[in-house]
Amino acid sequence: MEKDRDRKKVILLLRWTAIIVTSYLILFGRGKVTDLHLSHILIAVYMLSNVLLTFLPKTWFSNSKFFYPVVIFDTCIVSFGMYLSEKMTTDFYLVFFLIIIFASISRNFKLLMVIGGITALLYGILLHSWGLLITENGSSYTLRIPFIFIMTAFYGYIVQTLTKEKHQELTISEDKYRGLFENANEGIIILRNPQGQIADVNREVERTSGYTKEELLQNEFLDLFAPEEIEKTRDYLKEVAERGGARADYLSLKKKDGTFMEVDLSIKRIDLGDESFYQVMIRDLTKQRKLEKKIVESKRNLEAIFDGIRDQLSLQAPNYDILRVNKAVIENYQKTYQELIGRKCYEVYYQRSVPCERCPVSVTIETKQPASSIMKLSEINGALQIFSYPILDEKGSLISVIEYVKDITEEQRLQEQLIQSEKLAGIGILASGITHEINNPLSGIIGMAEVALEEEDLSKNKDYLGDILNCAQRIGEIVKGLKSYSRAAKREDLSPVNLNEVLEESLKMVQLAIKKDTVEVIKNFQPIGKIKANTGEIQQVFINLITNAFQAMDGKGGKLVLSTRSLRDLIEVKVSDEGMGIPQKYLNQIFDPFFTTKKQGEGTGLGLNIVYRIITKHEGTITVESKENMGTTFTIQFPKRRGES
Amino acid sequence: MNKKILVVDDEEVIRKFLKIHLVKLGYEVTEAADGEQAIEQLGIDDFDLLICDIMMPKKDGWEVIKEAKSNPKTKNLPVIVLTAKNEDSDMFKGYDCGANYYITKPFTKAQLLYGLKLMFGGA
Repeated sequence: MEKDRDRKKVILLLRWTAIIVTSYLILFGRGKVTDLHLSHILIAVYMLSNVLLTFLPKTWFSNSKFFYPVVIFDTCIVSFGMYLSEKMTTDFYLVFFLIIIFASISRNFKLLMVIGGITALLYGILLHSWGLLITENGSSYTLRIPFIFIMTAFYGYIVQTLTKEKHQELTISEDKYRGLFENANEGIIILRNPQGQIADVNREVERTSGYTKEELLQNEFLDLFAPEEIEKTRDYLKEVAERGGARADYLSLKKKDGTFMEVDLSIKRIDLGDESFYQVMIRDLTKQRKLEKKIVESKRNLEAIFDGIRDQLSLQAPNYDILRVNKAVIENYQKTYQELIGRKCYEVYYQRSVPCERCPVSVTIETKQPASSIMKLSEINGALQIFSYPILDEKGSLISVIEYVKDITEEQRLQEQLIQSEKLAGIGILASGITHEINNPLSGIIGMAEVALEEEDLSKNKDYLGDILNCAQRIGEIVKGLKSYSRAAKREDLSPVNLNEVLEESLKMVQLAIKKDTVEVIKNFQPIGKIKANTGEIQQVFINLITNAFQAMDGKGGKLVLSTRSLRDLIEVKVSDEGMGIPQKYLNQIFDPFFTTKKQGEGTGLGLNIVYRIITKHEGTITVESKENMGTTFTIQFPKRRGES
Repeated sequence: MNKKILVVDDEEVIRKFLKIHLVKLGYEVTEAADGEQAIEQLGIDDFDLLICDIMMPKKDGWEVIKEAKSNPKTKNLPVIVLTAKNEDSDMFKGYDCGANYYITKPFTKAQLLYGLKLMFGGA
């Protein structure tokens, strides 16, 4: 700011001096003034210009764009003024332009002033030798000497100012560059020539290479590389010298400690006038390499896991295109990887033209939630369980879906077998109870038949036959009840079932086997409609639970409460007893297979496990609440499905 | 004087044909439909034989037999167990309780006669 004000002052002062001297030259110049008005106007314009400059903001005086017009304007005015002062002024013009040239090429103001003084002196001597200084008009010639000196000072000052500014700008930009250079995250080496003489290095180079700047400046650039790569690097430098820039990837840079680091080089030729520098940007790839290695490793691990899983895994895009499959899929479908990728999953896996109904992948595409379903394969009497999991991006949009296909044919077959064998075991247990129930009427039949055979009064036989028939009918009822239990239900055999009826029937059967007058049975059945279920299996569930309830109340007696109710989208069945209860520590084990607290031979430990499996198979849930010596309640919930009421 | 037999069974038809057979054979028959009635009858009358079912409401046959055997009045009363429980363990339990003979249901008149023969020596 201070400098700006000084500059404005000096320039205004210099111009005033130039104006005064020029005006004198014009007004008192020798010879005939061609046009006095013109002279006056010129002087007025010249003076006015300086008055105007007085009002301009001082910052303008630091601006070269403002400066050049002023200088040109001044030169034009002065030249025209010189023309007006004297007709024969060639020598004067020559001297004037000479000082302008001096001023523009000069870099040292003091030297310029000395030159200006000498020029003025020489011109004075010249004028004197021509005898012009001593004529009557000599004063106007004499004025030319200070005029020359003052104009030298004026131009010299202006040129000097501009040069200084340029220099300052350069310094500033160099500082900026230095800052960038030193603080860059990448190593930068400046080479003097394509042979690799190092001119400068930044801190990053020092840090990564372990060399100090001084050590590096004494080294050749090429010596920094592994011996086998020197030639390669030299070629790059040659290429840079010819073409101005080049890139080199994966070079090994030798560090001070003898180890190598992998780097990328980017070399650029920078031309500064006649000189060329080579800026080498060095990017340390060590971290990147490590990261890349990690990524490759984890990718390989994932691939190994993906392929190692013996169940089928397939990655699908949201448009059902197969993106990726594991070996199990390839083996299963006997197709090559290429034959599968990019095709629609439903086309290649199931030979369909539209997505499969109830496909969990569709559900996941729609909801972005995991889904699963069981798909029956009727032709091989098998079943697949299909799970699908969404893969989301960071914004939560679906990228792809993993379809996980598990062949559960064997599992289901074993489960069926287990259910069947448990059912047979159940029949065995029931049988001994039912034996009693059948033996009684059977005894009646045999006994009455023998009585009838011996009876001679045939009229009495009618009564006996009635008893026999009655007993036979009772046996018939019992057998009917058993039939529904032993009916070997097929896996697919799902039919609408009224749970209230099944519960009633199950209760009757258990009561046949276990006669407990100490147990009060309370039935609290609400209308619950029908659900799709396997009757035999549901009956087995109820028989198991009711039997357990009776057994729990063995001795002390109590109430057995069977209740059913319909909730909004559930049907609930409760079997509740006032028996001995289940100790807390066993509560989370009771559904485990082979868990039993009964004596060996009395229970298989599979009863509740089978119950659990059957309920789960029907997509229901079973929970238990129990307090020791207070009783136990099993709660079963089945989902209502659309179309069932 | 005819021998008195107490027939205990919750099954009416069984009591009925047993009575017909036994009356024909010349016995005097009293019926009881459950364990409690049986104990009651044993108190009221003197019997020469107890034919007793096991699985009955209120009091089961085991209890009836135990009570009879622990009562000095009926301690020597012969007992035929008549039951649908036909496993070995049940039979041993019956003998442990003091039963003299064990007939499993269903049975024929011949089995009954054999039991009576054992108890009364061919009467």
